[in-house]
Amino acid sequence: MSAAKKSRPSPIAWLIAPALLLFVLFFILPFAVMAAMSFFSANPISNPNAYLTTKHYVRFIDDDAGIFHDALWSTLRIGLVTTVVALLIGYPLAHWMARMHSRLGHALALMAIIAPLLTGIVVRTFAWMTILQDKGVINTTLISWGLISKPLPLMYNEFGTVVALVHIYVPFMVLTLIGVIGRIDERLEQAARSLGAGRLRAFVEVTLPLSLPGILAGSLLVFALSISAYVTPSLMGGTDVLTLPMLIAQQVGTSFNPGFAGALGVILLLVCLMIVIAYNKILARLAGEEGLA
Amino acid sequence: MSAALNKRPFDGGRAAYLALNLLLLGFLLAPIAIVIVFALNPTPYISFPPVGISLRWFEKFFAGSDFMNALALSLWVAGCVLVLSIVIGGACALALARGNLPGRAFLTAFFMSPLMLPAILTGLALFQSYLLAGIGRPVWGLIMAHTLVAVPYVLRTTLAVLYNFDRRIEEAAAVLGASPARVFFEVTLPLIRPGVFAGGVFAFIVSFDQFPVSLFLVVPKGETLPVVLFNYMKFDLDGAIAAASMVSILLALGVVLALERLIGLRAYVKL
Repeated sequence: MSAAKKSRPSPIAWLIAPALLLFVLFFILPFAVMAAMSFFSANPISNPNAYLTTKHYVRFIDDDAGIFHDALWSTLRIGLVTTVVALLIGYPLAHWMARMHSRLGHALALMAIIAPLLTGIVVRTFAWMTILQDKGVINTTLISWGLISKPLPLMYNEFGTVVALVHIYVPFMVLTLIGVIGRIDERLEQAARSLGAGRLRAFVEVTLPLSLPGILAGSLLVFALSISAYVTPSLMGGTDVLTLPMLIAQQVGTSFNPGFAGALGVILLLVCLMIVIAYNKILARLAGEEGLA
Repeated sequence: MSAALNKRPFDGGRAAYLALNLLLLGFLLAPIAIVIVFALNPTPYISFPPVGISLRWFEKFFAGSDFMNALALSLWVAGCVLVLSIVIGGACALALARGNLPGRAFLTAFFMSPLMLPAILTGLALFQSYLLAGIGRPVWGLIMAHTLVAVPYVLRTTLAVLYNFDRRIEEAAAVLGASPARVFFEVTLPLIRPGVFAGGVFAFIVSFDQFPVSLFLVVPKGETLPVVLFNYMKFDLDGAIAAASMVSILLALGVVLALERLIGLRAYVKL
């Protein structure tokens, strides 16, 4: 296009300055500070005896108490299970909505998906606590029907954590997938069907492979979000669950060890950065394909 | 697999597909409905099934000074974030869409990145920076932190509008003799206004519901509503939380309707 040729920035480009200032001062700099603090033994400004050290990372790697590695694994495990379940729930919804012809139906379904997204995490976690706790909706109902005699352990464990996390992050999966599935030409599937493929086979061999980039992008997004969740695992997990973000909050709140918290933060950040870069690569490739078509 | 009996046969597969999706929508909405039930249920602890309807939990919520102080702080912070993120995010969107900047794709991804990086780390990083700078944990620090995570929303909605409208309208105004400033104020600005406002509405709700960024940046007795609710919930689960939640849900519902009216929710179906 011609816009690509005249590459000289126009005066409007200066409007980027406030955002740039905000992001440098309150985003780049703080993350640099966090990374730097993770290599100091104490606050280098207030404490003159602070020295450079890798002890925080060594502490994580050695893991003498045997909890840090467990926390890392349970964070990744919860993230993975949440992602898979969110995909299984999100895909049918996204497919349904992408292929919906009724405008009203589409708008209503979209509202139903975005409304939970706009409700606070604390509120949504509270909702799941009222459903899953011992005196909650599910257990009381099952007991009153005489199906069980004592409450099922639905909460204060990984199960409850995953259920609430799935509920919180499914909308992100759906919103990513609708866009991708909506771009797949419906006629491809119709062609497969008219050539004799069953509905299921047409889906598995045509639509599903074409939506693979969306599946990947949505999964990466949900995974990145769920491994950094704090509220839900700490309220739903009880004493059973310890994740990296919870460990970080402990180090800041009760142990007051900002250096170690910083090191844990850097580790979580590195994991998320890799995921984010992959996510952006996939979306950029998708946008590129669209540009060619 | 249903045999074709007549023009529109009962289609078992389609029915199952529809039922499945309605079930999944139910999974998304049921928890919210249940919160409303508990907010109106008068028993002293969360219990099911509900026994009646009362407003006592709303009274407790609106009479509790802890809750009210937190609500006031949250509303104040969210209001400031709304204004700041509209100005900063709106300007940034214009620069990205019209500024002919090199590396535009990278810059857009960069300004979107607070959404993708763990919010709790943004909070931690700012906490450590404020600690290092020795400024304590001032309210403006919290406002700037929330603005940082709210700007991407304004950016997204404004960019969506900017990329969608026909640039020839601007060119036509310029050809007819309008100065660039006049084109901006009389053509561009009115056209992007819904996108900017929608982003502002989003920014407000993101700040009002913000927890992970706030966690390390609030001081005791100066906590935002989500932090107060979180601390309360660790020890007590009663209807006051449900009432507070319902206030938050009603706000979210208002926001969804406002967004639908402003730019249509379809604008969100791309990331």
